[in-house]
Amino acid sequence: MNGVPFDPRPIRVVCLLALLSCLGAQAEPPSVDFNRDIRPILSDKCFACHGPDDHERKGGLRLDLRDAAVAPAKSGTRAIVPGQPEASELIQRITTTDADDHMPPASTGKTLTETQIDLLRRWITQGATFRDHWAFVSPQRPPVPRPSASAAGPSAVVHPIDAFIEDRLRREDLTPLPQATPTTLVRRATLDLTGLPPTPEEVDAFLADSSPKAYEKLVDRLLDSPRYGERMAVDWLDAARYADTHGYHLDSGRDLTAWRDWVIQAFNENKPFDQFTVEQLAGDLLPNASQSQRIASGFNRNHMINYEGGAIADEYHYAYLVDRVNTTATVWLGLTMACAQCHDHKYDPLSKADYYRFLAFFNNVPERGLDGNKGNAEPVLRLPTEDQSQRLETLNAILAEKQKAYDNALPAIDDAQRRWEASSEAHAESVPAEIRQILAKDVAQREKKDLEALRRHYRETVSGDFRQLKEALDAARKERDEFDRTIPSTMVMAELDTPRDTFIRIRGAYDKLGDKVTAATPGALPPLPSGAPTNRLGLARWLVSADHPLTARVTVNRYWQMYFGTGLVKTAEDFGAQGDWPSHPELLDWLSREFIESGWDVKRLQRLILTSAAYRRDSRVTEEHFQKDAENRLLARGPRFRLQAEFIRDQALAISGLLEGRIGGASVSPYQPAGLWEELSMREDSKNFSAQFFVQSKGADLYRRSMYTFWKRSSPPPQMSTFDAPDRETCTVRRPRTNTPLQALVLLNDPTYLEASRKLAERLMARPGTDAERVAWAFRLATSRTPGAEEQAVLLRVLAQQKDYYRRHRDAAAALLRIGEAPRADSFADADLAAWTLLSSTLLNLDETVTKG
Amino acid sequence: MTPLHAEFARHLTRRQFFRRSALGLGTAALASLLDPARVLAAPASRGALAGLHLVPRAKRVIFLFMSGGPSHIDLYDHKPKLREHHGQELPGSIRMGQRITGMTSGQSSFPCVASMFEFQRHGRCGTWMSELVPNIGSIADDICLIKSMHTEAINHDPAFTYIQTGAQQPGRPSLGAWLSYGIGSENQDLPSFIVMISQGSGNKTDQPLVSRMWGPGFLPSQHQGVRFRSGSGDPVLYLSDPEGIHRENRRLMLDGVRDLNQLAARDFGDPEIATRIAQYEMAYQMQMSVPELTDISSEPVHIREMYGIRDNPTDGGFARNCLLARRMIERGVRFVQLMHRGWDQHGDLPKQIRGQCRDVDQPSAALVKDLKQRGLLDDTLVIWSGEFGRTVYSQGQLTKDNHGRDHHGRCFSNWIAGGGIKPGIVYGETDDYCYNIVENPVHIHDFNATVLHTLGIDHTRLTYRFQGRDFRLTDVHGELVKGILA
Repeated sequence: MNGVPFDPRPIRVVCLLALLSCLGAQAEPPSVDFNRDIRPILSDKCFACHGPDDHERKGGLRLDLRDAAVAPAKSGTRAIVPGQPEASELIQRITTTDADDHMPPASTGKTLTETQIDLLRRWITQGATFRDHWAFVSPQRPPVPRPSASAAGPSAVVHPIDAFIEDRLRREDLTPLPQATPTTLVRRATLDLTGLPPTPEEVDAFLADSSPKAYEKLVDRLLDSPRYGERMAVDWLDAARYADTHGYHLDSGRDLTAWRDWVIQAFNENKPFDQFTVEQLAGDLLPNASQSQRIASGFNRNHMINYEGGAIADEYHYAYLVDRVNTTATVWLGLTMACAQCHDHKYDPLSKADYYRFLAFFNNVPERGLDGNKGNAEPVLRLPTEDQSQRLETLNAILAEKQKAYDNALPAIDDAQRRWEASSEAHAESVPAEIRQILAKDVAQREKKDLEALRRHYRETVSGDFRQLKEALDAARKERDEFDRTIPSTMVMAELDTPRDTFIRIRGAYDKLGDKVTAATPGALPPLPSGAPTNRLGLARWLVSADHPLTARVTVNRYWQMYFGTGLVKTAEDFGAQGDWPSHPELLDWLSREFIESGWDVKRLQRLILTSAAYRRDSRVTEEHFQKDAENRLLARGPRFRLQAEFIRDQALAISGLLEGRIGGASVSPYQPAGLWEELSMREDSKNFSAQFFVQSKGADLYRRSMYTFWKRSSPPPQMSTFDAPDRETCTVRRPRTNTPLQALVLLNDPTYLEASRKLAERLMARPGTDAERVAWAFRLATSRTPGAEEQAVLLRVLAQQKDYYRRHRDAAAALLRIGEAPRADSFADADLAAWTLLSSTLLNLDETVTKG
Repeated sequence: MTPLHAEFARHLTRRQFFRRSALGLGTAALASLLDPARVLAAPASRGALAGLHLVPRAKRVIFLFMSGGPSHIDLYDHKPKLREHHGQELPGSIRMGQRITGMTSGQSSFPCVASMFEFQRHGRCGTWMSELVPNIGSIADDICLIKSMHTEAINHDPAFTYIQTGAQQPGRPSLGAWLSYGIGSENQDLPSFIVMISQGSGNKTDQPLVSRMWGPGFLPSQHQGVRFRSGSGDPVLYLSDPEGIHRENRRLMLDGVRDLNQLAARDFGDPEIATRIAQYEMAYQMQMSVPELTDISSEPVHIREMYGIRDNPTDGGFARNCLLARRMIERGVRFVQLMHRGWDQHGDLPKQIRGQCRDVDQPSAALVKDLKQRGLLDDTLVIWSGEFGRTVYSQGQLTKDNHGRDHHGRCFSNWIAGGGIKPGIVYGETDDYCYNIVENPVHIHDFNATVLHTLGIDHTRLTYRFQGRDFRLTDVHGELVKGILA
C-alpha cells in the first residue's frame, strides 16, 4: 500500500460543528440546508405523528409544512418561532428532562443526538426556512464547478462529472487516486458494459492503441456490442420482476421471453428512455400499435399471478393492481407508494386517495383475478412465426374441408339409418336391447332421447361411412389444436372499452370499498398536462415529460449505481423524505438535465459516466481513503466490488470456451441439483401443470448466458440466489452484495464450474509453450492481467501438487474428468488434465476473478 | 505491519471479526486465522440489535410447521356437543357471513361434521386430545395448547406467507431471517437459520412450499434460511467435493486460492478480500461439520427408536428431521424450521389425517421429551403449527365414514413449549362448533410478538429500514399474549 500520511482531521462537517458547539466556539457556523440537514431529522423522528398522515397526527401539530409549524397551537404555544429557538416549543420539548413532555416519546424508541438538536436550534435561529422536498422539485441544470488550477492543469479539459466530484473532494480534503492501469480499465469497462471479461486479445489491442482517444474508442466499441443489450437487460429484469413462472401456489410456467427479447433489443438499438418507458407502460395504447410495442407493454404483466383452487378472484386481481402501482412507482418515481395503500404516507405527501388514483390507471385490463393454470394469462398476444402462420392456415383449411365433407355426408347417412331401421339387421340379437326396444316403439312414440340414442348407435357402431368421416374430422381438429398450442404467445396489456370503477380500499383490504376515485397523478407532483388522455398512455408520457422532477433523477441514479456500486442517492428505491440525501446533489441534477436534453439518450449517458476520471480511477484501497470514506461515496478511488450472480457464471463459461452466445429466445435449464423443485411442490397431479419437474437442458443450451436461465420463483436457480439474485417475486432495484461460505461452495463444487474448469484446462493444455507460459495465460484469461512472480510461483506450485496427486490417484482423475456433459478432448492424459482442471478451478475461485476491480 | 495498518484496522468498525482480524493483524496473522481452531473460536456473529431488550427465556427456536392446515377439530379442539349437530346445517348465526373459499362457496349445503375420532384427557393438566396424537398427549404437561389462533387468510399461499413472514403478500422476511438479522448466530460453522422439508403421507396432491417461506425478504440475503436436504444428495447444496477431489488435494488447492487472495489483499487493500479468504475457510470447515451433524448413526439406538426413525422411513423423513433439529440447536443454530407437507384434507379426511398423524405424532413428542431430558427445553422454544384450521362443515359429501374439510382461518389450534412458556395449559376457547373464538383470541401477530418476547426481543423494536420505513415482523400489530408466559 502506498504511504499516504495519516490525517486525523475529522472530515464530516457536522462532526466538526458539533465539536465547535461543544467547545462554545465563536466561529460563524455555515448555514443550515433544510433538505440536507433538517428534513431527514423531522421525517425520521417526528413525521410519524406530526407529518402528512391526517389520521395519525398527534396534538394537531404538523411539522412538514411551515405555516402549520409556526402557527400557534390551541394552547397558545408555537412549535417553531423563527429566529427564536428558546421560544420554540419544539426545542423545549426535545431538550426537556421531563419524561412526560419529552419528544420524541420514549415509546417510539427514537432519540435525537446532540448534533441533531444543535442543527434544529441553528435552523430556527437562521429563520426556520422550509423548502419543498428536493426530489419533488424539477431538476435545474446547476453551473459546473470551476476546476482548481492545480487539479486540471492549465490546458486540461475537465469532464463535467469530475468537476462536481473533485469539488467535493477538495472540500473534504481528500486526494483522488490516479487513473487505473489500462489493463484494469479494459477489464472494468468490458465487464460493466457487456457482463463478460475481455479476451486477452482484446486487452492486448487496447494496450497497443496509443491514440489519445483509445479509451473512448473502447467504450464505443463496447456500447455497440450486442452483449451490451444483454448486460443492461439483466438489471431491468430485476426491476420488472421478470420470471418464467407465475409465483403463487403451484408456480407453473408462463412465457414472457418475447418481452425479454424486446428489452435486449431496445438497449442495443439505443431506444431513447422516454420511448422505452412509453412502450413498456402503454405500448398497446399507442396509435396503430405495432406488434413490438404491444410486446413491450408486457412490462406490467410480469407480476405474480395466482390460480390456487379456492382463492378469491377479486383478492388477487387487487394484488396485481397493487404490484403494478408499487413497481411503477419504484422504477420511475423512486417513491414508496406502497406505504399509502392502507393509510396516508407518513413521510411523503402521498395520500391514500393519491394511491388509488394512481392504481386506477392500471385497473382497466381485461384480465381475470385467477388465471394462468394453462400458461400465459389473458390478455395475450400470439406470436406465430411466418412458417407457423402458414402451417396454421393449412391446418385450418384441412379442418374446414373435413368439416364440409362431414356436413355434406350427413343427409345420406341419415337416409341410410332409416333404411337400416327398417331392415332385419336392426332387430338382430347383436343389437343392444335398449336400441331394439326403441325400434319396437311406434315412430311417433319415440322421445327425443330415443332418437338421439338411435342415431348415436347407428353412427358409431353401424355406419362405416360416418366413423370414417368423424375420425377424419376429429384428427384434423386435433392436429390443428395441438399445433395451435405450440404457437408462442406473450402477455400484454390491453384496455377495456369501459373502464372499471376504482375505489379506495379501506385499510388496504381488497373487499372494503371506500370512495370511488378516477385516475390521476399524485397531488404533490405535477398534474397530467391538459388534453392528455387520462390513461396509461397519458401517465407514461407524463413520467417522461421534460420537467418531471423524479424520472430522470431516479433513472440516472440507477445507472450510476450499476457502475459505482452505490447510487448518488444510496436508496435507489426511495427518493422521498426518508431516502438518503444525495452524495452529490448538483451532479445528480446536472446528469438528469443532460439525460433529458439529450433526448433521453441511454448510450450517451453510459458513455458520459464511463469516460469520467472518477470511473477510471485506481480502485486500490488506501488507509487514508478507507478511513475517511469507507463506502467510497466521495469517489476518490475507483469502484471495486464482486460481480453480480449472472456475470460470475457467464465469465466462467466465456473463459472456458463453453459460452453459447445466441441472443434471446426461450429460457433454458442448466445444471442444478436434482429434486429442488420436486421436493417443494410435487403432487400426484403435477403432470397437469407446467414447470413442476425440472428437466435439464442438453447441449449448447447448458451454456447460454445466465440471464436466460429458467427462473422459477418458488425455487430460483441456486447458483444465482446464492450470489444475491432476488427471487423476482417483487420489483428489486438494488441487490445486496454478500460474501458467504455458501458462495465458496458453489464456485468450488457446482458442476458448472468444474466443467468450465475442465474445458479451460483443455484450452490451456492445447496451447503451445511451457507450463509457466500457460499458467500466465490462464491467469490473464481470468483476471485480464499478467501474474506477478509470486503469483506465478503459487500457480505453478498448485499445478505441480495436483499433477503429483493425480498421478498417484488415477481413478480420482478419471472421476473428476467425467463431470459435465461437454465432451472431453482425448488427447491429454487423465492425470495431467485433472491437474490442469484444478489449476483452472483455482483461478475461477479467486477474489480477483469474481470482482470488478 | 505499519502503525498505519493498525490505525486503518481500528476504523473498520462495521466489519466483521474476520475482516478486522485479517487486516488488523496483517498477512502473518492471516495465516494463523486460517487455523481452523482459530476460526471456530471466533466469537459468534452479533445481530443488528445492540442488546436484547428483555431478559431472554429462550435462546433458540424449533418450528414444526404443518403445511396445509391440520384440522383442529380432529386433533386438539374437543367439542363433545358437536355430536348433537352432526349432519345438521351450520347455523347462519355461527357462520356470520364469513367468507368461504372458492372450493366450497358453490356448495348448497354445509353440514356440520363432528370428529370421528375419540378424545381423552392427558397428563396431570388433563388436556383433551384426540386418539390420533397419543404421543403428543403424553407431553401435555410440557406444552401450552392454544385453541384460539386466528388469521385473515383462507388460502394456502397467503396463509403460509402470513404465518412465516407476518404478511399475506410476498416481500417480507421470514421469522427465522428476522432472528438471524436481529440476534445473529450462536455458532461459527453452521448457518443460523436452517430449513428441512418432509413429505406427508396423508395427502399426495398437496399444496406446495415456496422458498419465500424461509426467504430474507428485504433483509440482506445472508439471513435467508439454508435448506438442509435429506436423501442421498448433499445436505447443503454443493457441500461435498465431487468424486475426484479428496480432502488432501482440496486442501492443496484451497491453499493456492488463499495464497493468491492474500497477495491480492496486500496489493489492493480491499477488506472484502480478507472476508472472502475467511469464507473459504468456513466452507472447508462446513464440509466437515455438516456431515458430522447430519450423521445420526452416532445416536444411541434407544434415541433413534424414541423418535421413531426407521431404516425405510414411511413418515416422509419427519422423524429424522426432528432428531437433526435437536442436533442443530445443540450446535448453536438459532432457528430450525421443519416443513411437513400433506395437511390439506379437503376430502378423504379420516384416512389422510391418520397418515399425517402417524408421520408426526411420535417424533414431535420425542423431540420435546429429548430436549427436556437434556435440559435444553428450558431455553429452547418448540412450536407446532399449521397456517390455518379447517371448517366444521364438510367439504364434499358427508358419508358415514368419509368427509373433507375446507380451509378455516377464524380459529385454529397450535402448541408451543419450552423457555418462557407456561407448560400444561390450554389457552383460548372456541364456540361449540370450533368455528369462532369466544375467549382469548391470539392473532398470528400476537403469537409472533410473544415468540420474540421469550427470546428477549420487544417486537416493536426489532426493525429494518426499507423503502423509508422501519418494518417489523408484526407490522403495526401484535399484542403480547401474557396468559401463556411463564
